[in-house]
This record gives sequence, structure tokens and C-alpha cells, in this order.
Amino acid sequence: MTFTGAIGAICLFPLRAIISLCVALRIHPNVLTFTGVVVNVLAAWALAVNRFMTAFVLMVVANIFDFIDGKVAKELRMESKFGGFWDSTLDRFSDLSLFTGLIWLYSRLGRHDYVLITTLTLIFSTMTSYTRARAESLIDKCKVGFMERPERIVLLMIGAFTNRMAAVLWVICVLSIFTVADRIYYTWRELNAAPDIERELTRQLTTPEYVKRVS
Amino acid sequence: MTLKRLITPPASVLWKAFFWTYERATWQYDLMVIAILAFVWITPPAWLGDPTAQGHGLIGWILTTLR
Repeated sequence: MTFTGAIGAICLFPLRAIISLCVALRIHPNVLTFTGVVVNVLAAWALAVNRFMTAFVLMVVANIFDFIDGKVAKELRMESKFGGFWDSTLDRFSDLSLFTGLIWLYSRLGRHDYVLITTLTLIFSTMTSYTRARAESLIDKCKVGFMERPERIVLLMIGAFTNRMAAVLWVICVLSIFTVADRIYYTWRELNAAPDIERELTRQLTTPEYVKRVS
Repeated sequence: MTLKRLITPPASVLWKAFFWTYERATWQYDLMVIAILAFVWITPPAWLGDPTAQGHGLIGWILTTLR
């Protein structure tokens, strides 16, 4: 088992108990999703007022709700297309609120350089989600690039817990730019690969040997 | 010819790191996580002009000790 796989397996133990509790109480998964966003907004406030440890605790709580909603929906057989839409839409609110909290903080501290870095991080984090959603309306799957939402959230938690938010913002910003570029390139390649196959098929089906054989 | 084939072997490591296609919980993912955590925790906050961080970070601590 890999190092990150082991951490994931360890974290899953307490989460299973919380999932079982929510299933026993028959809490609607959409309510869990909404609660997660509300807690994330509180975490954003904590970031804005430079209370990183409070923000860390709130982010952990919020992301427990965010993680379990899908699992609870599955166990209660309440999975729905709207649930998926609701979840991914509210995830954007959570992301945007956390970065807005940091922009507020750096603006209050008079650090315009970090206001800019956080704004760029916010833009490319949103574009990471948008490029995948838009690409998957054109091609089957576009799951490429490292900096997806779970990585982003865990990094923000690490940044808050260890008070190393600037380094975390640099990492998220740079890797989000590459993720967006990766998704654009991948989609372009996939969309241009299809006509190539069609062209090759047409070429093979019109060779004199093939025409002679079928006629 | 794809863009990827034009890239020389040493640069292909960087290409694969930035244009990521690996799943989570693979050794490549572990390596990337370790590299990111090393950057976050080892880099002295002063080098990045961190507005909120306290302390010098691991490299800063080593440099201060050696001086």
C-alpha cells in the first residue's frame, strides 16, 4: 500500500462511524451538503480574521460533511442527478468563500502581492472545475491534472494548521494553471483524434483491394 | 507528431509531473505529495514573503543554527 493510500484508509475508519450515524438518523444528503457549505463560510471568516487554527478545525468539519454526503446518499438509496448538481454547485461556493476569506485577510494586511496571488489561485481553481465540466459535455472523461478539489482542500488545511498559507497558495496556483492547461490540451487532443480515426477508416474502406474484395 | 514526442527525456519527467495523468494512491502520487509537502514546510517563509507565518521553516532554522 502506498503512503497516501494508508492515510486514506486510516481516515476512513472514523468517517465510517459518522456515515453510519447519519444513515441511522436518515439525514438527507442534500442537508449534509448544505451544512458543509455553511461551515466552510465560517472557516472563510476565520481565515479572514487571521485565526488559522479555528479555520483548520472548521475546514475539517466542513469537509467531513462534504465527503460523507455522497456515501450517505448511496446507503439511503437517495442518489439523484439533482444531488450531484447540488453537491458540485455548492462545492464552488465553498472554494470561493475560502479564497475570499484569504483575499480579505491579505487586503487588510496591506499585502497586495498576496491579494493578487490568491485571486489568481481562485480563478484557476474555478477554471479547473469548469474545464472538466465543459470538456465532459464534449468527450467521455477529462480526469487529468493533479490539482483537483480534494488536493486543494487538504493543502488549505495544511496551510492553516502549520501556518504556511503563502507556500500553499503558490503550490495551488501553479499546479492549478498546469491542470487547466492539461485539460485544455487533453480535450483538444481527444476532439482531434476522432476525425483521424474516421479519416483512416474511410481511407482503408476505399482502397482498390478492399473495393475489389467486397464487390 | 504530438507535442509530447518533441520533448527530450529529462524534460519528460517535468512534463509528466505537470501534465498529470496518474491516479491517487500510486507511487507517483506519493512522490508528488512528498515534493509539495517538502516545499511547503522546508521553504523559509521569508523567501516567499509570507504575511502571516511565524518561525523560519526548516531551511531557515538550519541556516540560523549554522551561523
